[in-house]
Amino acid sequence: MASASGVSMSLSSITCSFKKNQVPISSLKSVSMPIKGKSFQSLRLRTGPSRLRVSCAAKPETVNKVCDIVRKQLALPADSEVTGESKFATLGADSLDTVEIVMGLEEEFGISVEEESAQGIATVQDAADLIEQLISNK
Amino acid sequence: MFSFLHMASFTMKIHCFQRNFSFSSSALVPVQLPSRMETHFWYILPDEVKSATLLNQYLDILSPCEKENVLRMHGDNLKKSALLARALVRTTIARYQINSQVSPTSLKFRKNIYGKPEVDWQNHYDRNPPPLHFNISHTSSLIACGVTLDSPIGIDVEEKQRTTKNNILSFARRYFSPHEVESLSIISDPEIQRLEFLKLWTLKEAYVKALGRGFSAAPFKNFTIRFRAATKGHLHLSGNSNSKASEIIVESSDDPKTLTSNWQFALLELTGSHYAAICKEKDDDTVEGKGSVPMKLTVRKTIPFVEDQCISGKDALVLVGGL
Repeated sequence: MASASGVSMSLSSITCSFKKNQVPISSLKSVSMPIKGKSFQSLRLRTGPSRLRVSCAAKPETVNKVCDIVRKQLALPADSEVTGESKFATLGADSLDTVEIVMGLEEEFGISVEEESAQGIATVQDAADLIEQLISNK
Repeated sequence: MFSFLHMASFTMKIHCFQRNFSFSSSALVPVQLPSRMETHFWYILPDEVKSATLLNQYLDILSPCEKENVLRMHGDNLKKSALLARALVRTTIARYQINSQVSPTSLKFRKNIYGKPEVDWQNHYDRNPPPLHFNISHTSSLIACGVTLDSPIGIDVEEKQRTTKNNILSFARRYFSPHEVESLSIISDPEIQRLEFLKLWTLKEAYVKALGRGFSAAPFKNFTIRFRAATKGHLHLSGNSNSKASEIIVESSDDPKTLTSNWQFALLELTGSHYAAICKEKDDDTVEGKGSVPMKLTVRKTIPFVEDQCISGKDALVLVGGL
């Protein structure tokens, strides 16, 4: 919201300066630049659907267990920030780590994760949701 | 008339000088495109890049999206590797000077329908863009980029000292093919077993990345990587580091027919500390016949804008499958 008002402010200030200097209308095209700025792009990304979720969000206990397994695999300190939102990649998990994490989750929860499903896991929440879905399907 | 020409070239030189100057120390050394038989392997060691100025220079060539991704990484080391990975890809591809308009910053990337990154030449090229393929892999201590012309490539690097949290055979039983499990289980020395495991892992990863269709399109269990000795028809299972393996082959579990007709592999040991696996689709001319063709490799260590070094000998030890 703040960014939207920011753009409109700069629009009016630019229009004012143009009037003063009597610059031709065609140069107003340069005003469109701020609209394409980062803030708008990220808004667009966030409002768009990222993934079709069929299951409900997992229980907090499941999420916490996943966080613990992830922390252990990546040897992260106990106080490091790992939440449902955390992406494996940004925590530093490479492909071998991810596969080991999935294996750890399979052992912890007594489930079997297919390659197709494993590929879709990007965040801790994704993993927790998948685990509960697999448990309920057993 | 002469003075006019002089003026023109002088102005041009100033312009070029200014452009180079923006990269402070030196411009990127241009490199010729690999031939279809060749694979270029570039790598950077994060520990050798300490200058904050240089890191900022790298940050400047990234796209806004890439910068965001770098800054989102948890902790300085992860930020640094993410930054160096993007900088390595951009500077490496820009070196091939396919088109004078291509600079590290101007390059655009996209993902294929399976999520594999590729260059998006956009309007840099009027007609057919050059069929340059690349693939990257990184560990905290080494970041690599493989480049080929006209053939899909996948690479994977791993620290030799990497350990698994799970027991190696448990892990292999869960993810590797039965043949591979067997080849690992006959190794009595746990250290050698771990190293052979890492070799198999990197080769399997490289193959799946070369295929470019995602992990699920080629489940690890459904294909076997094995080493074959020089003598024709004599098959060794991998596991003995003393075996004179001359080629690496991949076989499908579903279909007994060997997949080697399409893919060639190389396994390297870099600076004694890392394994690097490279998988590339064979050039049509070499598919003929069952004979294996070693990969023609050029290995270069780089610190973009600072120095490039051609690496050979024991610092780029070819373990199997390459020249």
